[in-house]
Amino acid sequence: MGNQKLYKGSLQTIILKLLETNDKMYGYEITQKVKELTKGELKITEGALYPALHKLEADGLLDVEVAKVGNRLRKYYKLTESGTKETANKLDEMQEFLRTMQQLVNPKLSLE
Amino acid sequence: MKLTENQIEELYKFTRKHYVYHYDVQSELVDHLANDIEEIWVAQPLLTFEQARDLSFKKFGVFGFMDVVEEKQKQMNKRYWKILLRFAKEWFTVPKIILTFVIFLSFFMLLQIQFSEYFFLGLLLILITYEMIAGYKIRKEHKVKEKKEEKIFLLEAMLGTTKNSYTGFAFVNLFNLVNLTRLDFSNLNIYWVFIISIVLTLLCILFYVSNYVIPQKAEELLQETYPEYKIVKNL
Repeated sequence: MGNQKLYKGSLQTIILKLLETNDKMYGYEITQKVKELTKGELKITEGALYPALHKLEADGLLDVEVAKVGNRLRKYYKLTESGTKETANKLDEMQEFLRTMQQLVNPKLSLE
Repeated sequence: MKLTENQIEELYKFTRKHYVYHYDVQSELVDHLANDIEEIWVAQPLLTFEQARDLSFKKFGVFGFMDVVEEKQKQMNKRYWKILLRFAKEWFTVPKIILTFVIFLSFFMLLQIQFSEYFFLGLLLILITYEMIAGYKIRKEHKVKEKKEEKIFLLEAMLGTTKNSYTGFAFVNLFNLVNLTRLDFSNLNIYWVFIISIVLTLLCILFYVSNYVIPQKAEELLQETYPEYKIVKNL
């Protein structure tokens, strides 16, 4: 497991990206999906995930749907229209960030 | 192994014990814990329900559910203000704008009469007393609901109680301000009277909207906010 701190600032982007590819997801599903995609390298903590989801919802980027699953209520999140636009922006920002970091950390590689 | 109905109930009680008081926040956490417990049982089938639950809760970190509740509260505050502004805006469209103007004009004229500050203090005192009584009633109702273990949604609680803290504070502050400075409104520059009248008119509208309009529309607003509201209240 790498340094979780390094991932911290990217949590929102990760959530948005996942919802872009998966249409609608619930909280637990998101944590599991991230674990699966990163082969356990990144574990989103529950204490960070839900506040992030609620913030995105407050900003109007996410919409919620509730369904009764078995004997409990499940809350699904999906992107709103402005959420889809914001996802594209955030992903561009992320690419930019990765390029910049690459130049800083490994200048030779970026010269190629 | 799937969780039973009783164990789900236990989880609701567990969130309550950890300072999550509102049903909408509780149910999301319960679903999360339930999923995680079932997952934990796959790997460690010998754990009891309580052991698996505590293991899952630990993942939330030292602050437990606090961060989740805090962010949810912020989100709902935003929503509440949006609702408040939505209804307040109506007062600046025809036909209500006429009434708004009348309120403004009455303040504007009253403030220019001599000793208007005493009239003003009296009015505020009446409003503060009214607010205190109303607030007391609501808190009492709330306690009854809590005792009955009724499912209360976060926004539901806010529609009922937030208004009192906002408008109540505003009134008490105004009262102190006027009382301490003994402001003589009638000798003030007319521009100040103009500005004060605008502020007072706005306060009146906010008071009316948060105390009468929003509580009346509560059911509608809650259904709009919570897709699960209907399912839950019909359970």
